[in-house]
Amino acid sequence: MSFEVFRDVAKPILAGFGITARRLAKPKATVQYPEERREQFPRTRWRHVLTRYDSGLERCIGCSLCAGACPARCIYVEAAENTDQERYSPGERYAVRYEINMLRCIFCGYCQEACPTGAIVLRKDFELANYEREDFIYTKEMLLEARRPEPVAH
Amino acid sequence: MAEYKLLLEHSHEPEFRTLHGYLARGGYAALNRAKGMERQAIIDEVKTSGLRGRGGAGFPTWIKWNGIEKEKTRPHYLICNADEGEPGTFKDKQLMETTPFLVIEGMTIAALATQADAGYIYIRGEFVDAAKSLRAAIDEAYAHGYLGQNILGTGLNFDLYIHMGAGSYECGEESALMSSLMGERGMPRLKFPHAPLPTVAGVWDQPTIINNVETYAAAVPILAKGGEWYVTLGANTKNSRGTKIFSVSAHVNKPGNYEIEFGTPLMELLDLAGGMKGGALKACVPGGSSVPMLNAEDCQNAILAYEELWETGSMVGSGGCMFLNEHTCIVSYTWRTAQFYAMESCGKCTPCREGTKWMLQILERILRGNGQPGDMDLLMEITKQIDGRSFCGLGDAAAWPVAGAIKKFPEEFEYFIKNGRSMVDTPEARAMAPRWAQRAFSAV
Amino acid sequence: MAAAVQTETVAITINDIELHVPKGELIVESVKRLGLEIPIFCYHPRMKPVGMCRMCLVEVGFKQPDGSVRKMPKPQAGCTLPASEGMVVYTDTEMVHRDRKGVLEFLLINHPLDCPICDRGGECPLQNNTLAYGPSTSRFLEVKRHLPKAYPLSEYVTLDLERCIQCGRCVRFTEEISGDSQLAFRFRGASMQPSTFQLTDFESRFSGNVIEICPVGALTSSKYRFRARPWDLETRPGLCTLTPCGTNVFYDYRSGRLVRINGRTNEDVNEEWTSDTTKFGHDALYNNPNRIQVPHVREGEAFRAVEWSEAYAAVLGACEGKRTAVLAGTMLSNEDYYAWQALARTALATNHLDLRWQKTLLPASQMLKARTGLPGVQYGIADLENALAILVFGTNLAADQPMSYLRTRKAWFRNGARVVVAHHEASEAESFAHVVLRYRPGTAAELAAGLANLLAPELADATRIATPEWTEAQTGVPADRLREAAEALRGTEFAAITTHGLFDEANGVTAYQTLALLTSHAGGKFNGLVNHANEQGGREMGFAPDLGPGGEAVTAGMNTAEILQAAAKGEIDTLILVGCDPIRDFPDTALATQALENVANLVLVDSAQTEACAYASAILPMALPAERDGTYTSSERRVQRMERILKAPGESKAPWQIAMELGLRAGSSAPYFHARDVMDAIAEQVPAYAGARYQDIPETGVRLANPEGLTRSNDAVVQALQSLLGGR
Repeated sequence: MSFEVFRDVAKPILAGFGITARRLAKPKATVQYPEERREQFPRTRWRHVLTRYDSGLERCIGCSLCAGACPARCIYVEAAENTDQERYSPGERYAVRYEINMLRCIFCGYCQEACPTGAIVLRKDFELANYEREDFIYTKEMLLEARRPEPVAH
Repeated sequence: MAEYKLLLEHSHEPEFRTLHGYLARGGYAALNRAKGMERQAIIDEVKTSGLRGRGGAGFPTWIKWNGIEKEKTRPHYLICNADEGEPGTFKDKQLMETTPFLVIEGMTIAALATQADAGYIYIRGEFVDAAKSLRAAIDEAYAHGYLGQNILGTGLNFDLYIHMGAGSYECGEESALMSSLMGERGMPRLKFPHAPLPTVAGVWDQPTIINNVETYAAAVPILAKGGEWYVTLGANTKNSRGTKIFSVSAHVNKPGNYEIEFGTPLMELLDLAGGMKGGALKACVPGGSSVPMLNAEDCQNAILAYEELWETGSMVGSGGCMFLNEHTCIVSYTWRTAQFYAMESCGKCTPCREGTKWMLQILERILRGNGQPGDMDLLMEITKQIDGRSFCGLGDAAAWPVAGAIKKFPEEFEYFIKNGRSMVDTPEARAMAPRWAQRAFSAV
Repeated sequence: MAAAVQTETVAITINDIELHVPKGELIVESVKRLGLEIPIFCYHPRMKPVGMCRMCLVEVGFKQPDGSVRKMPKPQAGCTLPASEGMVVYTDTEMVHRDRKGVLEFLLINHPLDCPICDRGGECPLQNNTLAYGPSTSRFLEVKRHLPKAYPLSEYVTLDLERCIQCGRCVRFTEEISGDSQLAFRFRGASMQPSTFQLTDFESRFSGNVIEICPVGALTSSKYRFRARPWDLETRPGLCTLTPCGTNVFYDYRSGRLVRINGRTNEDVNEEWTSDTTKFGHDALYNNPNRIQVPHVREGEAFRAVEWSEAYAAVLGACEGKRTAVLAGTMLSNEDYYAWQALARTALATNHLDLRWQKTLLPASQMLKARTGLPGVQYGIADLENALAILVFGTNLAADQPMSYLRTRKAWFRNGARVVVAHHEASEAESFAHVVLRYRPGTAAELAAGLANLLAPELADATRIATPEWTEAQTGVPADRLREAAEALRGTEFAAITTHGLFDEANGVTAYQTLALLTSHAGGKFNGLVNHANEQGGREMGFAPDLGPGGEAVTAGMNTAEILQAAAKGEIDTLILVGCDPIRDFPDTALATQALENVANLVLVDSAQTEACAYASAILPMALPAERDGTYTSSERRVQRMERILKAPGESKAPWQIAMELGLRAGSSAPYFHARDVMDAIAEQVPAYAGARYQDIPETGVRLANPEGLTRSNDAVVQALQSLLGGR
C-alpha cells in the first residue's frame, strides 16, 4: 500500500469512522417515533380544538369571527339559535356547523386570536396525515372537545 | 327692604277670586288702559318696564311679543305655561288659585298686543285647585264680556282654554309643552336656530307667544301703572326690574311665597321666611332644584337679581328658594335631586337619557357605601358631557345641581366615598336619607 | 316641476374652507360636499331631522362684520342646523371630539357588547362610529339594563330592546314614510323603548325597511337571523321580480345561497325602500327545497331524468302538428317572453299564448295603443311625488303597487298633495286621503262616470245621466263627497292611478276606460298599471294572443281562460307552461285542474315542483331571474337589467335559451349566444325598445318614452259607457 493510497483513501475513511465512534458515546438527537415522542415547545400550534365550559356547554357561539380572521379562508361556520329545550352554548347562538379545511389551514392561529370566547384553540396534536382529501375537512364533531365526565356526587 | 306685594297684594282675600271683588280692587284697569293704546304702544310699555320671563330663563318678554307678525295673516296663539314642575317652586300655583283674574287679564293684554285668537293655559295635572279657580274665573269673565267676542268693545275676539297636563316635568319646557298641547308625545322640538322661533311657527305651526303665569300677571301692573313706574322697582340691580315671587321652602320657620323687589339680599328673604329652623344655614338653592347651590358663605353676599346671582354662581331660575340647614347631608340631597331628573328625562336625547340615569346610579352606589376613588371626577365629567350637549334645558338642569354640589361641598363627597359614611352624622340627617342608605349614618 | 326651482345659496365656512351651499341645507349634508363626514345615528336623509342622538354635535359660530368669528356657547347638532349666511362650522376641534366620545360612552353604557352574536355586527353604524370616534374603555361600573332579547315584533322583525339606542329611526319611518304609524316609543327617560302601541304585531307592508335603517342590531330580520355574518356574504345588485315596481335591491348570498335582500338606492324607483314582499318573498323562491335539477320525461307513472336533447325531442314530438298552446308566468324576463312567443308563432304555429291570470281578460289590442304599449303610464313613479293631486282608483295601492304608494304618500306628506282614494274596501291609502270615495263593490264604472260628469265637460253627452245624485244612488258615495273629490282634482294635472286589478270587478273594463278618458279630458295623467312582476314587459314583447311584438296585429288566438277551457274540453293536445302553475295562478282552480287533466301532453318549464307536475309529460328545469341575465320592464315601463347573481341549480337553463334551442331543433330559430343577442333582436322588432339594448341601459334603468293618451278607442269607450248608463 503506497503512501498515496493510505493518504487519499484509508485515512479519510478511518477519520470518518472515528467521528462515528466518538458520536456513539454522546446523547442521541433523534427519538424512536412513533414509540417515543419528544416534548413540544410551549407555543407550538397544531390541530384545532373547540373547547367547552366546565358546565359542559360549548364555548363556540357561531360568530364566524374566526372565519373572518382566517387568511386562508378555510373555516366555515353556520349558526343557529339555542332553545331552552336544546341548548348547546350559553346565550342565543351556537354553531350548528363548524368546518375547517385542514389542507388549506396554515396554522397561523389568527382564529384563536379572534375568538371572543376562547372556543377555538390550537393544540399540540400534529399527526394530521390522511389518505383521502375529503378526510381533511374537519367537522364540528371532530373538533369539539370531549364532554368531561360528570363530577361524582358526594 | 321688605316684602313688596305687587301681584300677591290681594292674594289673601277670597273676594279677589271673583270678578266683582277683582273689579272693586282696581281690576281690569290695565286692560281698560291698554285698549286705548296702539298695539305697538303696549309692547313698548312692556319694553320700557324691562320685564323678563319669570319661568326661569329670564328672556325679555317684549322681544317675544314684538316677534309676532304685525300684519295678521294667520291665527295667532297665546300659551300660558302653568306647568310648574320645578321642585321647590310653587308661585304659579298660588297665583292661579288666589289671583286668577290677574292671569286672565295679563293674557288678554298680551292677546290685544299680539292679535291672538286663542289662549291656552297649560296647567300641571296635579294643580286641580288652580284649575278649578281659573275655570270659575274664566266662566265669569266670559259671562261679563271680558273674554270671548269683541272684548270690552276692542274688537278683539279671544278665547281662553285650560289644558291639563299629565304631570310630566318635561312638559314645562316650552317646545315640549307645545308638543303635548297638540296631542303629541311630550318631547321637546327643534328650536332656533334649528327651527323657526315659536313667534313664527309655534303651536300648529302658527305664531305663538308662550310665557309663564307670573310673566302674564306682571303685565297687569305694568299696563296699569306704566312701564316707567315698574322700571323703578329693582333699580339698583344691573338688569332686573320689578318684583319677583320667591317660593321659600325647606328648613325655614315660615315657608311660603314671598314677593320681593329685585335686588333684595338673599339673607333678607330668609329673614322674611322666619329664619332657619332646626340648625344653622348650610346651603341654599335659590332658584328651584335645577340651579347650582350656594354654600353659607355665598349666601351672605347673594343678591336676588338675574345678573347678580349669576355672578355669585347660581341663578334666579323660577324662584324656588330652598334653605338647607346644617343637618343636611349634601350627598343624599344630590342623590334625591338626581333621582328626580333621571325620572323626568323624556328620553329624547342621549346625554340626558343615559347621563341622568348614570349619575343617579353612581350617587346611589356612593350612598350605599360603595363609592370608588374616581367617582367625583367621573360625576363632574358626566355633568360636562350633559351640560350644553342635551337637546333641551332638562339635561343642563340635571347636570348643574350635581356639579354645583360637588364644587361647593367636595369634602362631603370625599368623606362619603372614602369612609362609606356621611359626614353629617346626625339623627336629622339620617331621617332625611333614603331607607336603604341608613347604614351610612350612626344609629340613634 | 322640482328641477326648475331656483335655490338661494349662502356662503358658509367649514373647517376654514369657504363654500356656497343652498340656503337651509343641513350642515350634516353640507360637510359631505367637502368629502368630510359627521357621524350620525338618528339622522336619515329621507326623514325629518330630529337631533335626538347628539352624535353630530359640531362647533358653530357666525362671522361678525369685522371678520372675527363669534362662536355659539354650546355645540350644535349638525343634523338639524340649516346653513345660513356667514355660518362657521368646525367639525374637527377638540371639543367636538370630546363630545363625540361622550355621546358614544353614554350610548354604550347600556348597550350590550354581544356584537359577536349580533346580526348587525360587522355592518353596524354604532360599531363603526365607536371605532372611529369612541372611547377605548368605559367608566361604567354599574349593572347594564336588562330587557327582553329577541322579542318577535312580527313574523319578519325581531326586536332586541337591550341593543336599542332610542334613535327613533324606526318610529319615524312608520310615521313619515310607510304611514302606518305602527311603532311608537313607550315609557320615558332611560326606560324609553320602541314598540307597537299595544304590543300587537308589527303589521306593515314595509316593515323590512326598519331593519335596514336601524343603526344597531335592535331590529333584525327574523328570516336572516343567524344565517350569516356580513363578511361571509357576497353582494350583487339585482331587481325584485315579485312586485311590478321594478324595485332595486341587493342580493346577499353566502356559498351560492341567497340569504337576504336589501334595498338598493334608485331615486327614480324605490329611493331606498323595499316592500316586505320584495324583501322577504325571494327567499322561498330561491331556496325552495324542491328545485328541479335536470330535465325529466314521463315514463308511465314515474319520471325519468334525461339529457336535454332527449327532453327537447320529446317536447317537439308532442307539438308536431298538434293543437298547441303556451301559457307563461309573470316573472320571466323580456328575452324569455320574446323568445317563447317567437317559438310559439313559428315552430309551434300557434297564436294561443298568454301570460295574464286575472279573471277578466281583455283583448290585448284594446289595451295596447298602436306600437307603443299601454295607453297610459304617463306618470313615472318618481313623478308622482310632484303631483299636486292624485286619484287612486279601484286599487289597494299599498298592496298592488308598493312603490307608487310610497311616492303618493310622500307627495301628500312633503308637498301636501290632495289624494282622492276610490275603492270598494278599506285600504292604507285612505289614512292620508283628502277624500275617500268608498263605493259599493261592482259600481266602479258608475263612479267613474260620476267623476267624468263633474270633471270632463266634453263627455257631457255621454255622462248626462251620471249626476252626483244619480251616482250616489248607484254607488253609495255621497254626492257631496263626490263633488269634493272633483274639486280636489279640478284644474290640476292630477295623476290617476289604477291597476288591471280593476278588470276583475263588474264593469271594471268600462270603469278603467272611462277613467282613462276622463283623465285625459280633465287634463290629468293616467296611469293604468299592471299588477304582476314583468307582465308589462311580456305584453310589449308580444306574448299575447292577438298582438305580436311591438303591438303588431296578428290573427287572434285564445287567451288564458279560453285556452284552459279548450284544454278542459280536450281541444288542446299540447300545453306548454313556462314558469306558471294554473292551479296556483288562475282564479278558477277547478277549471285549471280539469284543463291539466285533459291535456294529452303537458310540458312544464319551471324552477321548482308545483302541483301541475303531477300532470306533466315533460319537465324542463328553468333558471330563476337572478340566476341568469335578463331585462325586466316595470309597471311604469322602466326597462332595467339584472345580471346573473346566483348559480342556477343542476342543469337549469334560462327560458329564452330553452325556447331558442327548441326552435333550432325545429329549424326555425336563429341561435342566440347571450341574452344580449335576444335584446338586440327585440330592439329591431319593437321600436320602443330601440334604446334598451344592453349597452344602452344605464344603471338606473331606462324609462320608455311616454305613449300618448287614449285617443283611438274613444268612440268604443263612449259607447260602452252609454250602454252601461243607459241600461239603468
